[in-house]
Amino acid sequence: MMAWLLPLVALVLLLNLTLGMLRVYQGPTAADRMLAALLFGSTTVAVLLVFGEWMAVPALRDVALLFVMLAAIISVAFVGLPEADEEETP
Amino acid sequence: MIEIAIDLIIAMGVVGLALQTILGASVFRAILMFIVFGLLMAMAWARLHAPDLALAEAAIGAGITGALLLVTWRRLQAMDGRTPRVGIAARAPWLSIASGIFAAALIVALGWVSLSLPAEPAAAGELAWQRLPEVGVSNPVTGVLLAFRAYDTLMEMGVLLAAWLGARAVASELRPGALPGPAHAEVPLVGALLSLVVPISLLVAVYLLQAGGSAPGGAFQGGAVLAAGGVLLCLSGRLEAAERSSITERIGLVLGLAVFSCIGLVMLFMGEPMLAMPGVWAIYLVETALLLSIALTLVLLFAAAPGLRRAP
Repeated sequence: MMAWLLPLVALVLLLNLTLGMLRVYQGPTAADRMLAALLFGSTTVAVLLVFGEWMAVPALRDVALLFVMLAAIISVAFVGLPEADEEETP
Repeated sequence: MIEIAIDLIIAMGVVGLALQTILGASVFRAILMFIVFGLLMAMAWARLHAPDLALAEAAIGAGITGALLLVTWRRLQAMDGRTPRVGIAARAPWLSIASGIFAAALIVALGWVSLSLPAEPAAAGELAWQRLPEVGVSNPVTGVLLAFRAYDTLMEMGVLLAAWLGARAVASELRPGALPGPAHAEVPLVGALLSLVVPISLLVAVYLLQAGGSAPGGAFQGGAVLAAGGVLLCLSGRLEAAERSSITERIGLVLGLAVFSCIGLVMLFMGEPMLAMPGVWAIYLVETALLLSIALTLVLLFAAAPGLRRAP
């Protein structure tokens, strides 16, 4: 029973990512795009954990933990950005 | 069936995001596409049963390049459309054309030679796999990097040092401004985040180094994680650029290269092949030195500074 369940969960998570790409693509503001990208980070952690269990590669848990630990760095880099001119810089 | 769908989504996503990163009109959107591209690449490595590469992608992509590109975007905006001071490339255009032709010729020559070599059916790989127990580490990646392909690893450290020296040479010409002042230096949440993430990055770096002997991990991944802690300190204004590098920093930059070469040369004088490792302790000693050098080089490259000091 578990044989098809885990890949199915991974597939649903990946489809979720594809839909979320619309938010990164369309914006409209930089913050929208940033939040969508951060959401992708969380989904990636979930996908990696499911992969690790499904493919029996326990080291993928380390990769997932690494993403959790480092996720905050990009938001810290972003929050310091100036607020103006957030759209369509040439 | 489901497997094919998963792999197809990842493959198409990687190609699509790469195209968006290169072709996108908005710089900020391209940066975010690149960050998401890194996430998808980690998934691709995971599907390819290469957790070592997924670890490296996670550490470098999430810890360093994302923040580096966002900060670069910030610097570009601070420059407000002014073009940076033009350097050597514009003063001597023939030099860039000549070096371009030379680089292209080098690539063609290398490609020609490697195509004309007779194909050996993975002889080295088989042999290395059979003799891995003699090295003393059970992770084949670490074994190959430090025992069978030590010269490559040494050269990689040389490349990293050369990259930093190159960045210093260009910086004296271009003079990038200081990191734009952090708008959130006084937010109490940043301090709490730092006191949590920075010690953990040190712990995880040491864990990855230790795990590298028997499981995915190693000096490069560990160094990138430690560097991510340093990047966070730079981003939040706790560390700032110094005008000169201190003696400690200079020692740190060459430590990996120096320790690795010393052990290699000592073995040569003792009648062993150059860069042979005298034991598992030597592998961990070299890996520790490599980790420190990698982390310091990456942080200094991120800060675009010759050295760092604590902010007052």
